[in-house]
Amino acid sequence: MNEAEAILMGLRIWAMIGAAVAAVFLTIGMDRIDEDAQGAYVFRPLLIPGVMVIWPLVLWRWYVWETGREAWGRRYDPPRKAHFAVGMILPAGIALIILTGLALRQTWPADVAPVQLLPAQEVSQ
Amino acid sequence: MSVKYTPVQWNTNKYIYDAVMLVGVALFLYVFLYAAPGILSHERPIDPQVHNARAFGACAFVMLTVILCIGPLARLDKRFLPLLYNRRHFGVMTVFVALTHASYILNWYFAFSSSDKFEALLFANTSYSQLAGFPFEVFGIFALLVLVILSATSHDFWMKFLTPPVWKRIHYLIYPAYLSVVAHVSLGILQDQQNHAFTVIFIGGAVAVGVLHLMAALHERRADAAISAETAEWIDICDVSEMSDGFAKIRLLPAGDRVAVYLNNGTLSAISNACAHQNGPLGEGRIIDCLVTCPWHGFQYDVTSGQSPAPFTEKVPTYNLRLEGTRVQVDPAANPPGTYVEPVPVPDHAAQEAPA
Amino acid sequence: MSDKNSPFFVGYLSAPRGLRTFLLVACVIFVSGLGGLGLALGVAQDDPGNGAFRFDYGRQTVTGVVEMTPYPLVRVTEGSERIAVGQTLMLSGQGKNSVISRTAPLEGQLAKVSGVILDRGDLEMMQLRGGRNGISGVEGEAPAMQTEQLGRWRLAGEICDGKCLAGAMRPGRGIAHKACANLCLLGDIPPVFVTTQPVEGHEFLLITGPDGTALPESAYHHVAQFISLEGEVERRGDLLVLRMDPDTVELIR
Repeated sequence: MNEAEAILMGLRIWAMIGAAVAAVFLTIGMDRIDEDAQGAYVFRPLLIPGVMVIWPLVLWRWYVWETGREAWGRRYDPPRKAHFAVGMILPAGIALIILTGLALRQTWPADVAPVQLLPAQEVSQ
Repeated sequence: MSVKYTPVQWNTNKYIYDAVMLVGVALFLYVFLYAAPGILSHERPIDPQVHNARAFGACAFVMLTVILCIGPLARLDKRFLPLLYNRRHFGVMTVFVALTHASYILNWYFAFSSSDKFEALLFANTSYSQLAGFPFEVFGIFALLVLVILSATSHDFWMKFLTPPVWKRIHYLIYPAYLSVVAHVSLGILQDQQNHAFTVIFIGGAVAVGVLHLMAALHERRADAAISAETAEWIDICDVSEMSDGFAKIRLLPAGDRVAVYLNNGTLSAISNACAHQNGPLGEGRIIDCLVTCPWHGFQYDVTSGQSPAPFTEKVPTYNLRLEGTRVQVDPAANPPGTYVEPVPVPDHAAQEAPA
Repeated sequence: MSDKNSPFFVGYLSAPRGLRTFLLVACVIFVSGLGGLGLALGVAQDDPGNGAFRFDYGRQTVTGVVEMTPYPLVRVTEGSERIAVGQTLMLSGQGKNSVISRTAPLEGQLAKVSGVILDRGDLEMMQLRGGRNGISGVEGEAPAMQTEQLGRWRLAGEICDGKCLAGAMRPGRGIAHKACANLCLLGDIPPVFVTTQPVEGHEFLLITGPDGTALPESAYHHVAQFISLEGEVERRGDLLVLRMDPDTVELIR
């Protein structure tokens, strides 16, 4: 198996586990932890892709809900300070990447002529 | 709002939002796909697959750029808040456009060989040790994966289930994804493109995103400095005369949380500034029909208890507060979400005696 | 924070009067802006060159001597109305697949080849039909073919895959196309070097590794870049073959 096959196999396994988690979570788990989901079924297929991509987080959150370990204060503590980091890193990163791209750009060297370094030595048949 | 989950809680404004967004996207694609080829005077046309891939790729870049401008614009000027209202549909649409771009590329450049096209995408170019000729496709793949994760977790259920702060942290992935898109373009088509209209539009869009985020960050830091409070048993908020009915004063408490103190019909109440839905800034909203209304998506709370009116079940923490002379003061220890706190009446003379 | 005079938008209520003009202007700018950008970006695309599949020629069938460089060529000895005697065609299979397994047993022999032509200037390639319809040995003595050595040269230009460049894809070169070109080259499609200025009247040369080997792996990292390199050049009919020296490759700044 080459690296490309291994990566794709990994993704397939991830998605298959995710599908299994989605099957259990969307049929059993949801009703246990969220009263707003009880009796609501039409929206559930929308959640399948989400469970498939972040299923480890789904399992962890499900565990936290079931065990009641959640500290309520955490729900009201948005990471607003990160806005400032983003405000610095994003423009710097954009500038750096674009300048790198522009620096790498090549111009077709139309003025470079072919040079014969050594003359022909033989004619083969 | 919750009650029972539905796929989309439609309302008139969401229809208008989506219609305008779809008309814009459709117009972009139509013009690029059907009007541009007639204007290009190439001896032989660009392959339709490449033309399509470029149309959808360029469209996805423009959409993502617009989406990322909305956030900082709304923080700098509140009039842009309506553009934030149904932004998730804009984002989901972007994913479909980006996926279309990827599939045209995959089924053209990476097809026709004896290898699986997904494998070919990963192994055809392995020049990872050089910047020039770097396999820029990986940047596109990363950005696409992020967009898929974000759109797949955009339903309100995810915010409640993951909690808004965790959900928000996941959705911060949009920033590395945008940098990745910029790298995808910079190390890809920017290397080949000879027509500089493209270069100018690309750089203009990316720089607008960068500059707006910088401006919004600086703006927010100044605002935070103005509202942050020193540690104390009771945190001083403001003089009661500075308050206007139906509006709030926000303070950044020493522990890092924010309190919104509202004046409602001559009484004072304090709730968390973070909305239960997406942690929107409740203190930047206002009281409508006796209910605090979030400026982001209109979630509403009783200012005395932090509870949404029935049948809704959202709750936010409340804070105890007192009036010392004419000074409004808050106990920095929050009460559990939904705890009723007796509102503090403002005596007429307190409001009048205070310095203007 | 907020004040009484600023309009307040609530999603499920109709937009406040004071915001309507602003939002209308925003919508108009958004829609017309996207239309304008679609046009500006759509017409900013570069010319992809004039390479093409020549389906308009119809299927071509010619006879010639098969040579392996190691990339397969046919030196035409009996042409068609489109293909003259003395021309040299590079050969490829369908898609990104080579025909080496079919041409190798016929090396140095006369064979009849049949397929569709791709051309771009003096670059010509034939995409063979499948199986024996595409190539089959022909009775008779193969005439001796001249290979004229033209000495060692230093050239500037770009390594491409011969098939996309010749017109299988438009555009068929450049960095955005590099992975596609590599995939062709991994499939042993004949690689081509595009020179900045003609060498002995030719802008395109078939490029191989030194001493009759395939394009070396190190060269894959330089596909689609503008480079200079040295190598032995030889003339086979109307096709030049460049035997590159991998140690001489330099990126042009």
